[in-house]
Amino acid sequence: MTFLHPLALVGLAAAAIPALLHLLERRVPPEAEFPPLRYLSEAERQNARRLKLRHLLLLILRTALIVLIVVAAARPLFPTQASGGSLHEPTALAVILDNSPSSGLVVDGRPALERLKAVARGSLARATASDRLWLVLADGVARAATPEALLATVDSAAVSARRLDLTAAVRAATRLVGAEPLPAREVHVVSDLQRTALGPGRAGVPRGVRVLALAPPPASQAPANRGVGAARVTDGAAAVSIVGTPGTGAAGGAAPVTLRIHGREVGRALAVPGSTVSITLPPLGPGWWVGDVVLDADELRADDTRLLVWRVAAPARVAALSAAGGGRFVAAALAVLEEGHRVRVGGTDVAIGDRPEAGSLVSVVLPPAEPALIGQANRALAARGGRWRFASAGTPGPIAGSSLPAIAGLQVTRRYRIEAVTGDASRGTGGDTTVLATVNGQPWLVRDGNVLLLGSRLDTAWTALPAAPAFVPFVDALVNRLARGEALISEVEGVPRVEFRTRGADTIGAIVYGLDPQESDLTPAPPALVHDVLEAEVLDGAAFAAARFAGAGRRDGSGLLLMLALVCALVELGVATRTR
Amino acid sequence: MRITGPGLSSTRDIRLFISFREAMADVQRIDLLDPAEVARFGGIEIVAQGVVEGFLSGIHRSPFRGFSVEFTEHRAYQPGDELRYLDWKILARADRLFVKQFEQETNLRAMILVDASRSMAWRGAPTRLTKRAYADRLAAALALILLRQRDATGLITFDEVVREVVPARVKAGQWARLVRGLVDTPDGRGTAAQAALVRLTSLLARRGLVVLVSDLLFDRELALTALRYLRHRGHQVIVLHLMDPAEAELAGPPEVRYRDPESAASVVVRPRELARAYQATVRREIDAWRTACRRHGIAYHHILTDMPFGMALRLLA
Repeated sequence: MTFLHPLALVGLAAAAIPALLHLLERRVPPEAEFPPLRYLSEAERQNARRLKLRHLLLLILRTALIVLIVVAAARPLFPTQASGGSLHEPTALAVILDNSPSSGLVVDGRPALERLKAVARGSLARATASDRLWLVLADGVARAATPEALLATVDSAAVSARRLDLTAAVRAATRLVGAEPLPAREVHVVSDLQRTALGPGRAGVPRGVRVLALAPPPASQAPANRGVGAARVTDGAAAVSIVGTPGTGAAGGAAPVTLRIHGREVGRALAVPGSTVSITLPPLGPGWWVGDVVLDADELRADDTRLLVWRVAAPARVAALSAAGGGRFVAAALAVLEEGHRVRVGGTDVAIGDRPEAGSLVSVVLPPAEPALIGQANRALAARGGRWRFASAGTPGPIAGSSLPAIAGLQVTRRYRIEAVTGDASRGTGGDTTVLATVNGQPWLVRDGNVLLLGSRLDTAWTALPAAPAFVPFVDALVNRLARGEALISEVEGVPRVEFRTRGADTIGAIVYGLDPQESDLTPAPPALVHDVLEAEVLDGAAFAAARFAGAGRRDGSGLLLMLALVCALVELGVATRTR
Repeated sequence: MRITGPGLSSTRDIRLFISFREAMADVQRIDLLDPAEVARFGGIEIVAQGVVEGFLSGIHRSPFRGFSVEFTEHRAYQPGDELRYLDWKILARADRLFVKQFEQETNLRAMILVDASRSMAWRGAPTRLTKRAYADRLAAALALILLRQRDATGLITFDEVVREVVPARVKAGQWARLVRGLVDTPDGRGTAAQAALVRLTSLLARRGLVVLVSDLLFDRELALTALRYLRHRGHQVIVLHLMDPAEAELAGPPEVRYRDPESAASVVVRPRELARAYQATVRREIDAWRTACRRHGIAYHHILTDMPFGMALRLLA
């Protein structure tokens, strides 16, 4: 039992008043003559037992009356297992309202967030001034405030663009409430409980903290959904990943994917969740382009579109020095590219040879055909301030690397190892040094400042690459993208938009904000998994409402005590007047 | 108006009585007034005579009769005397009212015993008479009535011992002696003891009427033993149990230490919570006295000291 106003219990000292009055009253009674004392003594003797009982009863009743009134004034709260009690013990409560993008799913004509907000509102509305409250939204910030302020926050909460890692949120919330020196601690997880919302690891709930989670709908009722998971322009085409609730594709079939630039459709494809489609871009002038990939609308609108941004550079002017390592395959590829206006042969933008060219902006350096010339090439590299050099011959192997996925797996039969200059290893991993492809785990294609080092000559005697269909795109990427440097485009979770990064008057990169693709998977987590990861009691709506504060439910006993006090007063009145 | 009366022997007494009559001119029945109010008009004699006059005017015959066939003398007519004893010849000759008295009339010997113990000197309120004062006035009035009927009347006052003894006589001045006996007896310093009662029995040799005026705050069995003895000796015994109204119903401060004036005993009580039980005890005690007296042929009357004297006398009629 606890008290709302414990200071009022000081009044319990007043319970001694009846006993004190009784003692003080007895101390100095006035004296008087009374001749028929024998009658008095006789009456008292005959009624002594009754009078003693009456005195005792009156003393008990008066003391109880004061105690009951004082305790009632202190507003006692009796623990109760029923949740119907309007009051409860002081509780540290954190409500996690998952307003991540998936909460924007429209169910029965209403956003799922409205239902979640109603549940969160129910938890906060039952809080009292003696509770300590936090509200955690999808941004992961724990807001501590009064019930009224948090209710206002819940009312104004909208679907966020941020994904909420429930495991991390529960872990943080349980730490918060666990640190509070209050009799009860609870965390209410009000979420659609996507399986993907459960982060790695377990919440690690401290002892004494209850975690209640609102049960999601059964997995069989998981709504179908498709969303644009990622979209990126590479080498003249947009690679678009379609994500969604597993099984949606089989049930709903392929869905049209539209690429738009400035609202105008420039490409279209069909895709099912889990697949990636490539939409070729039309010829575009140099500059930065912003487009969006759009899916047909479904119940979750937030992931039906995604922005993408790319830069179209002017065709590189390439000088391929055949005698110095350009070779016929390279020349043929450049000719094809020149026809397609991808490059212009004969310029100073990019030079392809077996040593760095002084007059070019970027040099693509291939190993010399003669091993004896390796040292000369390395000296030339060193003279340009290069931090990498050709080393001994390496073992054959397949090409690996994410920067050039088209050539991944192609066999390299002859190569030189590329290694960092001795004693300057740290420089080898500098900011402007990038290993773009490897063979057997060893660098094969390295960008070192304005020099690209390739471990093999572009000849079929060295690698199968020149004979592969990917060779021309590879050369295109090599001279247009890899040699001249890629524009830095990063993708960040947030409200869909594009922010360009500039340096002086130049735009050097862009940040594309969009939703986390995991939000598109609306598959609910199984209750057992939720229980295991979040260590929560997974309850449906009614059970959740009943379980809130259930462990700490309290009833205000002041009404009952006042009734008892009234009964005591009436009994006292009866005893005092009727038993004379 | 002619003023007569056995006790009005001096000029001072007559003057007092006249002033008393004038003061009470608008009152028809003095004997029915509040005893304390009546007592303000004067001493025992004045009050007793006023009471007796009022009392006798309210009844049609004397309460105590002792008439026989042998004529002895005349006496002045008193209201209430039977008209058949009126001497018509004197009335016709002198226009004065006399009744004839006979030999047997003086055979009644009345002895009034007044308890003068310390408890009798108590009163529950300043506006009331003490039990002793009430008893004195009642005894004087009773004696006056008896003497007017030519009954030999005596007085004994007692507490621990017998204080005053006035033998029963019927001669002139007897009432004044009786009153003097009452006045000369101080308020007792002790309790009424059974020894005094036994001593009384030896003083009452001839049969007659014995009237005991007391608050009866002594052992009932021992007192009854003495009264039974008197009854056994052929006396007609009347017990007048005096009680202050405050003794009949307990009241007072919330808590009080009551002390017995006749002993060192005391008890602390809360009158309000004991009132009902006390009242029942008093009622039981009175019933016990009444029952015991009736069993032995003794007349018992319970009298509160706020009862008008006339009503108290009527109890004896």
